[in-house]
Amino acid sequence: MTTAAFDSTRTRDWMRRFTASVYATEAELTELDQRVGDGDFGTNLAAGVRAAGLLLDRPEAPAGSAEALGAVATAFLDEIGGTSGPLFGLLFQALSRAADGSDAGLTTGALAEGTAQGLAAIRRVGGAEPGDKTLVDALAPAAAALRAARDAPPAAALAAAADGAWQGVRDTASLTARRGRASYLGERVTGIPDPGAVGVALLFSAAAGTVRTLAPHLPGG
Amino acid sequence: MTRYFENGTGELVPDALAGFARAHADLVEYDPADGYVTARNTAPARTVGLLSGGGSGHEPLHAGYVGAGMLDAACPGRVFASPHNRQIFRASRAVAGPNGVLHIVKNYTGDRINFGIAAERLADAGIACGRVLVDDDLASDSEDIAAGRRGTGATVLVEKVLGGAADTGMGLDGLVGLGTAVAGRCRTLAVASAAHHAPVTGEPAFALPPGELEYGVGIHGERADRTRSQKQVGVLVEDMADALLGALRPGPDDPVVALVNGLGSVTSLELYGVFGELGRVLDARRVRLARHLVGNYVTALDMRGFSLTLMVADRAVLDFYDAPARTPAWQG
Repeated sequence: MTTAAFDSTRTRDWMRRFTASVYATEAELTELDQRVGDGDFGTNLAAGVRAAGLLLDRPEAPAGSAEALGAVATAFLDEIGGTSGPLFGLLFQALSRAADGSDAGLTTGALAEGTAQGLAAIRRVGGAEPGDKTLVDALAPAAAALRAARDAPPAAALAAAADGAWQGVRDTASLTARRGRASYLGERVTGIPDPGAVGVALLFSAAAGTVRTLAPHLPGG
Repeated sequence: MTRYFENGTGELVPDALAGFARAHADLVEYDPADGYVTARNTAPARTVGLLSGGGSGHEPLHAGYVGAGMLDAACPGRVFASPHNRQIFRASRAVAGPNGVLHIVKNYTGDRINFGIAAERLADAGIACGRVLVDDDLASDSEDIAAGRRGTGATVLVEKVLGGAADTGMGLDGLVGLGTAVAGRCRTLAVASAAHHAPVTGEPAFALPPGELEYGVGIHGERADRTRSQKQVGVLVEDMADALLGALRPGPDDPVVALVNGLGSVTSLELYGVFGELGRVLDARRVRLARHLVGNYVTALDMRGFSLTLMVADRAVLDFYDAPARTPAWQG
């Protein structure tokens, strides 16, 4: 079975779905972050997708997957305050780089590579380990699922990545924070999932949604 | 009227930078859109751009040390807040040399993250980037503090030594190794008899009863773990110097550089008095005081306090320290 790439159209569809899910959950993300952080994560993530959308929807918008993801990365890195927003930018930067480095475009293998590189960059910057109750707890299982499914069609691989990310979100609810703003709150945040991890899960759910819609109709999914 | 003379909340830093750039137009340039200051002159032999930055409120750090022989760029954040990764990324791109760019970062979580994000962007853009972390504050040297020692007064010494080294054409790895070693041989202790005042509220960051002082205070109004009664300054300086010497343990022939630093609103009279006491203690301990600085180098807004920094050097480090530099806050 061939492994269809996440081409430019699908990448844009992915970003639109992510944008819609961020807007739809902004209030909940804000509420979560008011309990475990400083309350600005929902606003910052929404500002990120808004800035990214402005770049992607321009008439002279970049054409390929790599360029589109690069524009999203720049929007999150340049325009967003706080810490979590720019860290999402590093994930998009790594995905863009992986798409650029793959002759076949953003294949499952390139998605796995980009996610792994994005995870590595985010961990280098923030020093977070899995289990520290940060977005790493959703991103690490998503990266592991993509690596395990790197030869599978995108629909199956991204469904597994989204499942892994959401499981990671549920796991953060039982953790006490050791990094980030929530680390000052100790046991008081046990029981509450990390909003950054939720943001990561929304991103992979959006990608799974893009290919789930098309997969039954296309050879190679 | 608020305590601070400013046009309005949030205007203090950009207004000051614009004035600073005009006052020192022969030495520096300010990019108001991207929020960084760059040097107008740099040694032709330099192959690595030197960049630092951090929250404002510590003037003359960092922008005051931008110029020939020291920093190629500085990225000031808002008062006591880390600069944005965009400022750092763009300034780094502007001053990177053929061997890349070196970030001199004070050890605070926000600075580490924002400089780290910029470093990842630079790597993606194919620009080599290294980091020297400054963590000299003895008061935060505790196994209970996971973030490690804070970066304070030693930053200016590290910036000076690395500037001298960079002007010899030293590459990125060499500068990272040198800077890390030099930073590791610096320790600082700070005391305050009154807190700084927050620009927004005009209120002091903490209250101290008369006759008390905060021993081991940070440069953002972080309280020390102890308050002690004020004694004669000679006794105070002796305690501070002995604590620093205990941590650094310089050999009898090691040249030591001392920085007596005002934290914002201590008088020059007091600082020279402190230096006199420090010299007396170092002589008594047979420590070789090779170089010294007395003045306001790394401040904390208008805190009434001072810090002592000792750096244990060697011949090579002293040569880099002595190399010529000309910046708004460093001449010689």
